[in-house]
Amino acid sequence: MTSVLQPHKGDPNGTYTFSSRPRPVQNRSKYRELVADQDDGPPNYGNIMYDRRVVRGNTYAQHILPTTCQPDPVEIQRQLEARRRTQARKRAKEHFRPRTPEPLEGRKHMNVQTELYLEELGDRVEESSVECQTDAFLDKPATPLFKPAKTGRDVTTQIEEGELFNFDMEVRPLLEVLVGKTMEQSLLEVMEEEELASLRGQQRAFLELRNAELVEVQRLEEQERRHREEKERRLRQQRDVLDRERETADKIAARAFAQQYLADLVPSVFSSLRDHGFFYDPVERDLETDFLPWLMTEVSEALEKHSAARTVLDMLIKDVAGQRLKLYQPVMD
Amino acid sequence: MGSPRISEQLPPLLDSTKAPVAFGNRALPRLSMDLQDPRLYIRQRALAALCDLVHDPERAYETIQKDSLEILKVLLKDEDAAVRTKTTEVLYLLATHNVGREAFLRYNVVGPLSDLLDEPVDACRRNMHRALKMVAEFPAGAACIVAHNLVHNLVEKVTMESVDIRALLLGTLSCCVQVNAIPALQSNGVAILREQLASESLAIRRAAASAMVGISVPIEGKQRVCEENVLPVLVRLLSDKDPEVSASAAGTIMNTAVITRGKYQALEAGAIPPLLGLVKSDIRAVSANALRALTCLAEAPPARLDLLEHLPLLRTRLSHPEPIIQRAAETAIHVISWKP
Repeated sequence: MTSVLQPHKGDPNGTYTFSSRPRPVQNRSKYRELVADQDDGPPNYGNIMYDRRVVRGNTYAQHILPTTCQPDPVEIQRQLEARRRTQARKRAKEHFRPRTPEPLEGRKHMNVQTELYLEELGDRVEESSVECQTDAFLDKPATPLFKPAKTGRDVTTQIEEGELFNFDMEVRPLLEVLVGKTMEQSLLEVMEEEELASLRGQQRAFLELRNAELVEVQRLEEQERRHREEKERRLRQQRDVLDRERETADKIAARAFAQQYLADLVPSVFSSLRDHGFFYDPVERDLETDFLPWLMTEVSEALEKHSAARTVLDMLIKDVAGQRLKLYQPVMD
Repeated sequence: MGSPRISEQLPPLLDSTKAPVAFGNRALPRLSMDLQDPRLYIRQRALAALCDLVHDPERAYETIQKDSLEILKVLLKDEDAAVRTKTTEVLYLLATHNVGREAFLRYNVVGPLSDLLDEPVDACRRNMHRALKMVAEFPAGAACIVAHNLVHNLVEKVTMESVDIRALLLGTLSCCVQVNAIPALQSNGVAILREQLASESLAIRRAAASAMVGISVPIEGKQRVCEENVLPVLVRLLSDKDPEVSASAAGTIMNTAVITRGKYQALEAGAIPPLLGLVKSDIRAVSANALRALTCLAEAPPARLDLLEHLPLLRTRLSHPEPIIQRAAETAIHVISWKP
């Protein structure tokens, strides 16, 4: 018999534990005795399976005891009524159960066996003892491997080559990326070069035009220049010729005039020479050049002497007058 | 754990020579920060990544907006050759876009770029010349190059460089010469170009011939061309297989024949028969230049006599669909049949 021990008060986890110490099986009679005979033995024993305190089943529809010790009066009344009802029902059932009729007066009911063969009714139970003994341990052979019985169907599986990894399929995205990137890159490069090439082409076209116009301009300039120079040269030539002609005409005229002019040159030369005194009388010239100057110088010397004497006299007079003035000055004052 | 399904994300870029590019508009600020980093390998990786990005015009515009050109100009003087090479490549890629070219002019990149003319590393020089040629191909850029007095240096370098760089150089020169031919003339350009005309490489011949056309436009150019006896070489080039070369040769002859000396030298070199052959060509440039060269030559009386016999050929050209050729043919016939 199991017994419910009190749970350990000092249980650390707070979990519920159940343990009971092993007990030998107790002797019990074949037939159940009345409940009153049995003493109450160890307190609080019972089958845990049938213990009403153990919660069984769903916990979300439990009849939970109210927390207050004070039971609800309504509840109490309901319980009382339920109990009364069950008792009434039991009594009613008892009432309708058929019983043996009561014995008549002076008679007593006696229990009698009515079977064919009489049975001894006694308290003593027939016992027979049976013994059993295991054989000494034999050497057992090793237990064979437990092969559970074969159930179901046998199924095998095998991975063939090329099922996990299909190269052609897998390589496609790789190839796409590689080829795509290469094409992109080359397209970019080609575009760059094309852009540059088209720019250069435009430039070249423009250059051709420019060169054309330039050379036209230069050629026409050159032509103009040459024509102009040619014209100038011709004009100059013409002018030279004219000049020369004029010069010769001038020269001729000049010669004629000079000849005519110089015709009466000689007599006029002689007359002018004579006028200027180039033909002179020597005696007259001698007189003029020598005698007359000497005469003049002598005359002027004489005059100078006269004037010098006069000056000296003047000085003397002045000197005397001055002295006299000085002498007589204080007397006059 | 491998699965047969390929992920939607792009594979990680495992190129260790390129810096990882940040997302969206953080890419360029991050890269420009890396470009100024003192560690060499970071700069190289950032430059490699920038090279890839700049192909896109929007990214190129962003780069210019963020003033990265100043940083690139500093990097041009870096000691490491790989950095310089990549920087020149980035500048070349920027120059292929129009915003880039304008930015070059605004930020004055041509100066530092041209300092690399003496660069020992070939690849760097090649990129530099490519960038310079790109800049020269539009008029403001060519004017800028001429203003920096680079023409003299470029002409000097022509003889020294290897073949492919020489082709680029001559291309740059031909564009600059169209803006202003005087500096090239002063650096003895005509003689150098004459040597290059005889080269075997087609690209060099083309570029040299077009430069020659430009150089013979001013009067001194024409006189120098006559002095240096370039005309026989040109007459030989008239029978060259490449139409561009023969067009340029005919153009130079037509420019030179404007002055009298040029006319007579050309006649001595026997220019008329090949020119008559070229008149029949289908290519517009060739035929137009040949017609005009004949026009210029026809100003001289002996040539006129010669050409009077070939008037019917010229009359066939009158019915050509192109208006340029019609006009050129008309003037040619007019000049040839002129009597004083």
